[in-house]
Amino acid sequence: MAQKKISIRIDGELVGATEGMTILEAAEGAGKEIPTLCHMDGLTAVGACRLCVVEVAGIGRLLPACTTPAQDGMSVTTVSAQLTRYRRMVIELLLVERNHVCSVCVSNGHCELQSLAKSLGVSSVRYPYNYPRLPVDLSHTRFVLDHNRCVLCTRCVRVCAEVEGAHVWEVTNRGIKCRITSEMNQPWGSASSCTNCGKCVQSCPTGALIEKGFAVEEMTKRHENISALALAKGARP
Amino acid sequence: MEAAFIDQVIASRNGRPGALLAILEAVQNRHPQKYLPEATLRYIATAMKIPPARIYSVATFYALFNLKPQGEHTICICRGTACHTRGSRSLLESVRLDLGIGGGEDESPTSPDGKFTIRTVACFGQCALAPVVELDHRICGHVNERTLTREVAAIAEGHDR
Repeated sequence: MAQKKISIRIDGELVGATEGMTILEAAEGAGKEIPTLCHMDGLTAVGACRLCVVEVAGIGRLLPACTTPAQDGMSVTTVSAQLTRYRRMVIELLLVERNHVCSVCVSNGHCELQSLAKSLGVSSVRYPYNYPRLPVDLSHTRFVLDHNRCVLCTRCVRVCAEVEGAHVWEVTNRGIKCRITSEMNQPWGSASSCTNCGKCVQSCPTGALIEKGFAVEEMTKRHENISALALAKGARP
Repeated sequence: MEAAFIDQVIASRNGRPGALLAILEAVQNRHPQKYLPEATLRYIATAMKIPPARIYSVATFYALFNLKPQGEHTICICRGTACHTRGSRSLLESVRLDLGIGGGEDESPTSPDGKFTIRTVACFGQCALAPVVELDHRICGHVNERTLTREVAAIAEGHDR
């Protein structure tokens, strides 16, 4: 059965889409760029980071493009002064929550949080930093989990559960105490369900999950092939 | 760990939405120290075919579930705004001092002799009775340090109120 064609307006431009698509998918199909962080093609959308917020005509609040389905006749704005203000605020709040020190981070230059901050023009942070005291898990033979750099986007959780099927990662506790935890809070190296596939490392947008022994310039990540695999597997149509 | 009891609880509730919460609650209540040991969580994970990480995530998200042994008695002090303005902080500090319980984040909320566990809540919804303390599920209103010390001593001596 052919899916119903709909058309929506994105920044004034008429864009064709099919029913069931999210605003983000429709925008990407039309070549429009909406900043995202927790979104990864092929994984279920969670709407955790709120960077992809857009304005929809007739709705008084901002909606996340990654989880809002496109509806026929919808008029969406992806660029405005208000949206930039909110997106900057999101980045600033992510930065103050943990110890994001780019200059000593192995992902410096290859970090999605850093490049988003750069492209959104976050040159300073107006909120006081939290400076939490956080551990670094070095127990795995090949990989490192550094809680200091984690933004809790849950891409590792979803890629492990949906693509690899191992479900090693999960978010534990709540609120400011939230942590990415392997299996039942034991060191990553002794988590028996981990297959050492490294998909979580490749999916991590920051320097929270990294490979051991890599220097700053080497720690590049590729998650496009994981997205392709996920789409091919049909984890999410 | 009572495998037979856990199997029975799972069999009676599995399949329903939200079954995991009810199962964890029933299993925790059955335990003499009112907590969920790691082995129990792993057993439930295997029996329900849920990843262990998922169960651990649920068990840590809800304040109801304990992953550490609890004391025989629970003292629950309200730290809501109304109770705070009526001195619940000094109540909390004094009862911690009396029972030898540290207030740090990594410190156990249970006294070394295993008799008492101190918890805090954000609000009991009984602000007119501020400051409110719950002693073994019995609500006490307008508590001051003297009455709290008396009540705690009474519980320690085994007087059932």
